[in-house]
Amino acid sequence: MTTTNAKGLKLGTTLYSLTTQFHAREYSFEELVRKVAADGIGPGLEVVGFQSIRGFPKVSDEFAERFAALIEETGLVPSCLGINADLRIDPDRPMSEDESLAYHIGQLEAAARLGFPLVRYQYPAGPAVIERLAPTAEKLGVKLGLEVHAPHHANHPDILAYREMYERVGSPYLGFIPDFGATARAVPPSFFEAQADNGVPADLIELAKDYWARAGEPYERRDAYIADARGRGFADRHIMALVIIFGLFSRATPESWADIMPQVIHIHGKFFDFDDNGQEIAVDYERILPVFVAAGYDGFMSSEYEGHMWNDADGFDKIRRHHALCRGILDRIQP
Amino acid sequence: MMDHRVVSDGGLFASASGFDVDVRLPWYRSLPLSVVEVVEVALDGHVIALENVTFELNGETLRPAELRPRTDDYWYVLDSALLHVAHAPVAQGSTHEVCVTIAVRPPYIQGLNRIVKTTKTLTAR
Repeated sequence: MTTTNAKGLKLGTTLYSLTTQFHAREYSFEELVRKVAADGIGPGLEVVGFQSIRGFPKVSDEFAERFAALIEETGLVPSCLGINADLRIDPDRPMSEDESLAYHIGQLEAAARLGFPLVRYQYPAGPAVIERLAPTAEKLGVKLGLEVHAPHHANHPDILAYREMYERVGSPYLGFIPDFGATARAVPPSFFEAQADNGVPADLIELAKDYWARAGEPYERRDAYIADARGRGFADRHIMALVIIFGLFSRATPESWADIMPQVIHIHGKFFDFDDNGQEIAVDYERILPVFVAAGYDGFMSSEYEGHMWNDADGFDKIRRHHALCRGILDRIQP
Repeated sequence: MMDHRVVSDGGLFASASGFDVDVRLPWYRSLPLSVVEVVEVALDGHVIALENVTFELNGETLRPAELRPRTDDYWYVLDSALLHVAHAPVAQGSTHEVCVTIAVRPPYIQGLNRIVKTTKTLTAR
């Protein structure tokens, strides 16, 4: 815990990494938090409101008191509250801007109540709503971090629209949260292994890998892959089982994060699989962390394991490996 | 991974009017009932007409078609819902293949309708 007040890139965990263990009712919310502290995979603690808190965005007095006591007991530091741009709660009628603004304010108030310094928000909110939300963020003292998640990246047109608004508004409460799935070097092998277990043919997997690694826009490569695979006579359910790789993992360069660096307020250290040397296979941490350290980034990086989308691996074991990898790199490059 | 989570382990119960199935939300976070759909229920390979199925959660029992307007009622991610199925009696201790399909439309992901089907062989309790 000695690093808590130090400047620089600090480690932490999002409980989202432990979705398998939580959903299976193996660990309650309190048990997850206590184990994060006991395993030394804090000190940053990120929580997704709609995952961890019954009744969210309403927060009961009882929950707020229990959470404060848990933070006091464990010494963890609330780093980020994940909020959602749930514009289609009514699938037939998306929220108006006013409704979306009110919906975001409720979640921002929950963050303030629980002592989170910032929220992760999602791009469907739109620059107009976030601009109108900024005064509330300033009043509550909670920063707004746009998650830059694949298929987006720092210079994607959707993100440029936010960058232009941020520049015009000039509020220190407006920031970005890079998600390292946007700057991946490979698709996690465990994803393909899970698909192979479900009967997806090996040569179709090779074809998808080939298209993923080509040049060009991800969704154009996806459509080209689908057309090619259909032409070769593969079953549609197998073809479609692989298309999410074009949305979940983008190949922007790690160095491109420097373009938004002054406004980076938090990081999602996305990860999946490790090789025999402890390196992450899909995300090149040896290359990516120096980009942030060299720029003087000062804040938390949550270890965000997302392999739970396709297998039931032990999230705690994964996070411990991720922390070992990142701590080793930081020990070398961050005095 | 959610593919094996829709039907809970040990989640088949004999009832006076047929059987009940303990089901879980196949998503990582709570969702409003308006984005949840009970798509299909089958016992031993026989698909049951949805008019013979009701969905119990938060102390309320709804028909599958009544979920869509429920924009203010949430399915908390750790809670089980109970499907009540009107059916010929299922004997306690008998073993059956239970198959339930539930679809969710996460309200922040335009166009995604995630359909999750779980099949389990369970002994009725």
